[in-house]
Amino acid sequence: MGGMLDYQNTTYDIEAGHPHTAILPIAVVERHGSHLPVGADWMIVDAIASRVAETMGEGCYLLPTMPYGTSAGHVGEAGTLSLAPLTLMHVVRDLVDGLIAQGIRRVAVINSHGGAGESTVRPQGNFIVKTAVRQLNYDYPDLKAIWVQPFTVAKKRLLELLPSASDDLHAGAVETSLLLHLQADRVKGRGEDFVPALGKEYLDYLPFSEISPSGVWGHPSLATAALGEVVLGAAVEATVAYIRESFAHLDVMRGSQL
Amino acid sequence: MLDAYCTSDEIAAARPDIAVIGIGAVEQHSDHLPVGTDWIGVSGLSRLVAERLGAFLVPALPFSMSQCHGAAAGTVWLKPETLAEVLNDLVISLYNAGIRKVVVINGHGGNFVLEATIQELNLSNPDLQVIMPSSSSPGVPQGPIFETAHLEVHAGESETSTQLYFNAEHVKDERVDYVPPVGREFLDYAVIRQISPHGVWGVPSKATAEKGEKATLRDAEAIAAQARAIFATLDAHKARAEGVE
Repeated sequence: MGGMLDYQNTTYDIEAGHPHTAILPIAVVERHGSHLPVGADWMIVDAIASRVAETMGEGCYLLPTMPYGTSAGHVGEAGTLSLAPLTLMHVVRDLVDGLIAQGIRRVAVINSHGGAGESTVRPQGNFIVKTAVRQLNYDYPDLKAIWVQPFTVAKKRLLELLPSASDDLHAGAVETSLLLHLQADRVKGRGEDFVPALGKEYLDYLPFSEISPSGVWGHPSLATAALGEVVLGAAVEATVAYIRESFAHLDVMRGSQL
Repeated sequence: MLDAYCTSDEIAAARPDIAVIGIGAVEQHSDHLPVGTDWIGVSGLSRLVAERLGAFLVPALPFSMSQCHGAAAGTVWLKPETLAEVLNDLVISLYNAGIRKVVVINGHGGNFVLEATIQELNLSNPDLQVIMPSSSSPGVPQGPIFETAHLEVHAGESETSTQLYFNAEHVKDERVDYVPPVGREFLDYAVIRQISPHGVWGVPSKATAEKGEKATLRDAEAIAAQARAIFATLDAHKARAEGVE
């Protein structure tokens, strides 16, 4: 046997594989400038998560990517699908309840893609997932749940590849490059480079379109398919390393049940 | 095709009146079908319906009320209140972007909270039309495709046939046929492995890809036809009600 397990396996395959770690990817469906599909994050997170699970291999159970998350800043824009924060928190809690019931004690939530201007302390987008994960760890002492954002943990490499990556928040060079690599036929031109004069905290105060009318925060003109391929590899590598290291630290801190 | 692979501007320019939301599930499906069966099936069916209606296809929700499969490996679920919240939020998102007609396609039999949520959405938002048409419809030929449809609850002839149509490479040959000696209300009282040792309820040995294709295309036609008819009736009703005022 060997290899990771996912929704294409039968229950008996999964039982025989004794997975100890589940990967739960969560995306968003929202406007991405004039040039990227509304499902850009869904496609990117799904691509990263499946490669992460393949790399982690045996003992890993990959759930289907939850397509939508919290997109309050994009409500009212065509194609945006936004969950209320508590809805997303309940989704995470319920899915982890099911994983616990079948004996899985490690859950890594790949929480959208994050960004090179962020830290591993505070998520970019789907903020409530942090709260949901923290609460799961309190509620279930023998569960180890973590959240990770791939571009955030890969920021060192991203900034080497693209010095402006820390200003690349939405539909910019990173996302556009990933889409050019994954699904070039769905990229409609390049959008317009735009970095707002306002700080990122204004995303808590104003709809996205009032901060950036074109729906871009970054430099999509710098995007290339080749950059997308390298970024995807870097994001997968950094995410796998972060997940492994985090569970190793938690095994020391909280004891290993494996 | 309007879906999440389109840009927001493309969707806005097409001004779709209708959206289609499929509700999937990830749960045990006996020895022969993948745990993602319901999600795969409803994703395919929803796409066919959305094409027929010129509708915006929402990515199908992968998870729903599968707690009836208990701790079977690979199974995950949403509680009823969570599923209600997700459907509510999706419909309101569409509404906020100008789509007032929503077709819900349920890919998992145990989702009893959907109908209550749909009723609540419609009655509290008079300009919203959320419907969940059945797959049988007058005007679409109804001859029998499946010999054992009346015995099937889970992973049986029809579900296996549909999966052979959409996802044949992941359907296994070892199939257990089993029909429990109780009514399907027993799923309110026990989890399925207590009712059926292999988690099947039906006769999957009779499944074929041909039956799956025929049934899927017929269901897509029937759901689309029903949706058109229901929306036309509701629009006519609304026009009459406004005329009276």
